[in-house]
Amino acid sequence: MTRQIHFNAFDMNCVGHQSPGLWAHPRDRSWQYKDLEYWTDLAKLLERGLFDGIFIADVLGVYDVYRGNLDTALRASAQIPVNEPMLLVPAMALVTEHLGFGVTASISFEHPYTFARRVSTLDHLTKGRAGWNIVTSYLESGARNIGLGGQSPHDDRYEVADEYMEVVYKLWEGSWTDDAVLRDRDRRIFTDPSKVRPIGHDGRFYKVPGVHLSEPSPQRTPLLYQAGASARGQRFAGEHAECVFVATPSKTVLKKSVAEIRRAVAAAGRDPRGVLIFNLQTIVVDETDEKAKAKYEEYRQYVDLDGALALGSGWMGIDFSAYGLDEPLRHIKTNAVQSSVDAFSTADPSKVWTVRELAEWIGIGGLGPILVGGPATVADALQEWVEETDVDGFNLAYAVTHETFADVVEHLVPELQRRGVYRTEYTPGTLREKLFGGGPRLPESHPAARHRNLDGVARQDRLAAE
Amino acid sequence: MTREIRLNAFEMNCVAHQSPGLWRHPRDRSRDYKRLSYWIELVRTLERGLFDGLFIADVLGVYDVFGGDARAALTHAAQVPVNDPMMLVSAMAAATRHLGFGVTANLSFEAPYGFARRMSTLDHLTDGRIGWNIVTGYLDSAARGAGRDKQTAHDDRYDFADEYMEVVYKLWEGSWADDAVKDDAERNVFVDPSRVRKVKHQGEHLRLDALHLSEPSPQRTPVLYQAGTSPAGRNFAARHAECVFMSGPSTVVIAPRVAAIRANAVKLGRDPRGIVIFTMATAILAETDEEAREKYEDYKRYADFEGALTLLSGWTGVDFSKLDPDQVVEHVENEAGRTALENITRADPSRRWTVRQAAEHVCIGGIGPVFVGSPATVADQMERWIEATDIDGFNLCYAVRPETFVDVADLLVPELQRRGRYKKAYREGALRQKLFGGSARLQAPHVGASHRWS
Repeated sequence: MTRQIHFNAFDMNCVGHQSPGLWAHPRDRSWQYKDLEYWTDLAKLLERGLFDGIFIADVLGVYDVYRGNLDTALRASAQIPVNEPMLLVPAMALVTEHLGFGVTASISFEHPYTFARRVSTLDHLTKGRAGWNIVTSYLESGARNIGLGGQSPHDDRYEVADEYMEVVYKLWEGSWTDDAVLRDRDRRIFTDPSKVRPIGHDGRFYKVPGVHLSEPSPQRTPLLYQAGASARGQRFAGEHAECVFVATPSKTVLKKSVAEIRRAVAAAGRDPRGVLIFNLQTIVVDETDEKAKAKYEEYRQYVDLDGALALGSGWMGIDFSAYGLDEPLRHIKTNAVQSSVDAFSTADPSKVWTVRELAEWIGIGGLGPILVGGPATVADALQEWVEETDVDGFNLAYAVTHETFADVVEHLVPELQRRGVYRTEYTPGTLREKLFGGGPRLPESHPAARHRNLDGVARQDRLAAE
Repeated sequence: MTREIRLNAFEMNCVAHQSPGLWRHPRDRSRDYKRLSYWIELVRTLERGLFDGLFIADVLGVYDVFGGDARAALTHAAQVPVNDPMMLVSAMAAATRHLGFGVTANLSFEAPYGFARRMSTLDHLTDGRIGWNIVTGYLDSAARGAGRDKQTAHDDRYDFADEYMEVVYKLWEGSWADDAVKDDAERNVFVDPSRVRKVKHQGEHLRLDALHLSEPSPQRTPVLYQAGTSPAGRNFAARHAECVFMSGPSTVVIAPRVAAIRANAVKLGRDPRGIVIFTMATAILAETDEEAREKYEDYKRYADFEGALTLLSGWTGVDFSKLDPDQVVEHVENEAGRTALENITRADPSRRWTVRQAAEHVCIGGIGPVFVGSPATVADQMERWIEATDIDGFNLCYAVRPETFVDVADLLVPELQRRGRYKKAYREGALRQKLFGGSARLQAPHVGASHRWS
């Protein structure tokens, strides 16, 4: 069978998301993000288009690096105001049967004990369609506000994350056996207490002695996404992630990233082809190339350069307002900017990348590339991307919502189906089963499986200590 | 003029909430608590019955006081497994138009910044129908779950809680002005930055230096419920609560507490009738008294003595497995909820409870009273309770799910309406407006309103 292309919708519980300024477009609905109907309409649309899922971003800080304050982000609605993403899912689950839900949650702000229950609840209510995008937050302003005295720069973020994962795996995989819940009316036993174990975790950062509060859900551990791009992030992804999300501007860079990620997965003892990799992409598609281009030009009228730079400054940790718009990026000597320059140069080596060019790029669809054209043009391009980079699919951001997604569903999906590279129906089962075949639970090769036999782990630890 | 009776459905995202053992009843659907379909069907029933709200309890630990471990709680599904209550709301909101949702959230386990955004998100998604039951925690196992050795001493909890409330009021009321969001496409201004400001807080327990992440929601601060009735809890309620929830077995026990709440409110310059007070109760209804009694006797066959003592032990902090069933329960001081033990000891000196009697009582509907009868009989009992205690309404538990609530909607509500004691239609507006009239927002002299930035 020809290689299948996967789509997620990439969204956020805010206005504009990756296309600051486009909220001003008369057909954009993102200002309705506070209404349930906005989300249930979207979920139904995506399910019609047989998307794998909706992937909801989040950030618990604000974009205040640009000009050293929040004014730009507020004016341009650059990811502020922003509401909580997980609370949207049950309403969307109610109106769909198959769509998956990848929700971003940072390990830095909620204790694993209550977080694990929140996720299990979601997995129950969605009948196994829950996914978690594991993030250690990147905006310092968020950390200042949690009352924890700030993320400690001296604590390795990934050491904390590793322990957080250990705790939640123990809760999800090891605390209740599959046959703990009996519901035996005659013997008056709902749960067999001998089949529920306290996890007894006493680590460097977390102490969690008790049992998981939820009974086993269809997937137990939710589908795990991860988006770290640094070398350490890739190692973390290699160990834990089932789906990896990157945001690269060109095929050259993406090909390299995909290879690195698969290597990291293999190095962790897992099947490198058993992980799905998605690139951030924005698609402007219409009936014909001409119509699509006209639509794109229309969208470009609304690009907000300032708003785009507010996002870019947050992502790269540098205040672009210190530079003129026509300043070549290669003059800005920070690691983040230089690697971006290298990346963008591969996207278009003919350009001298300036601050303005960067802002215009980010202005629609963030750091990912934009594909514009009729169905055949875009389908050709996507297939090239897949063949040349070994990527599995695309996290599609919107220019205008829900129009960008409606266009993909109406014009692009049928073309891809015609070519035999996109599903024509959903397979039954949990999100994990739909994406990977196999079962609803993580395979034995995944680190979560180590925590399935808590007695076994305790014994191992004792042996190790001797 | 006779006051309108308020009704909430009292629920929990678990199998056995207040009626341990009844999950075994052939008509009970508690096993479906994990399914969206159960909750959607429930809220449609409640909205048909014009319930004011669905009030969802929660607990972040396991009832391991009985016997010193979790064996009994697990066996009887006594509030474990238990799922997150907030996760139900968006789906239930999509299926209803008027029903309010009171969710329990413990302020000891999440910092105010993220929590405030969660509540604002729900207030947006429900169009202003959300309330928050403020809880400070009563199980040591919950404290241990979050990494503390045991929970903080009872009164210190309320000091922390007062500071927590100050921070969330600042976020909900004082960070974004009402006119901050411009949505002005022509001038390309979504939010006017001069109408948003950071909340700076440096207190004994909490620090903050940020603006609220959410734009103003219909109610800003959710409707505030509170359930602690110790002296420290009552002061806290007088300051913050718009609705107070109590639980006790008799009017003798409840009436003085209601009076104390209203008196405290007056001391703080609030309208004593401006606090809506609910007490927990269970109504077992049928067309006739005799059929209702038969139903009740049928339910009691499934009641579980040990499950009841497991709950009671958790509420009171006393390990009832160590007491002889025919022993009289005596009062002791501990760090658990104070009034739970008083309910069966000091609060009614004329009544002494043995362990067995307490368990039998708790078996259906927890520590609250059980009204059994035809609609007229139950309505009479409710009216007598209201007259004797000055409460505003009832948090109704279930014996069998969802049958108990269906019976209330179909049998009790029409009777109350006939007597002119119950609304015939919902008022328009946010939950706060439905409960109190007036504004969707907190008003002076409520302390929350003092943080508003206009």
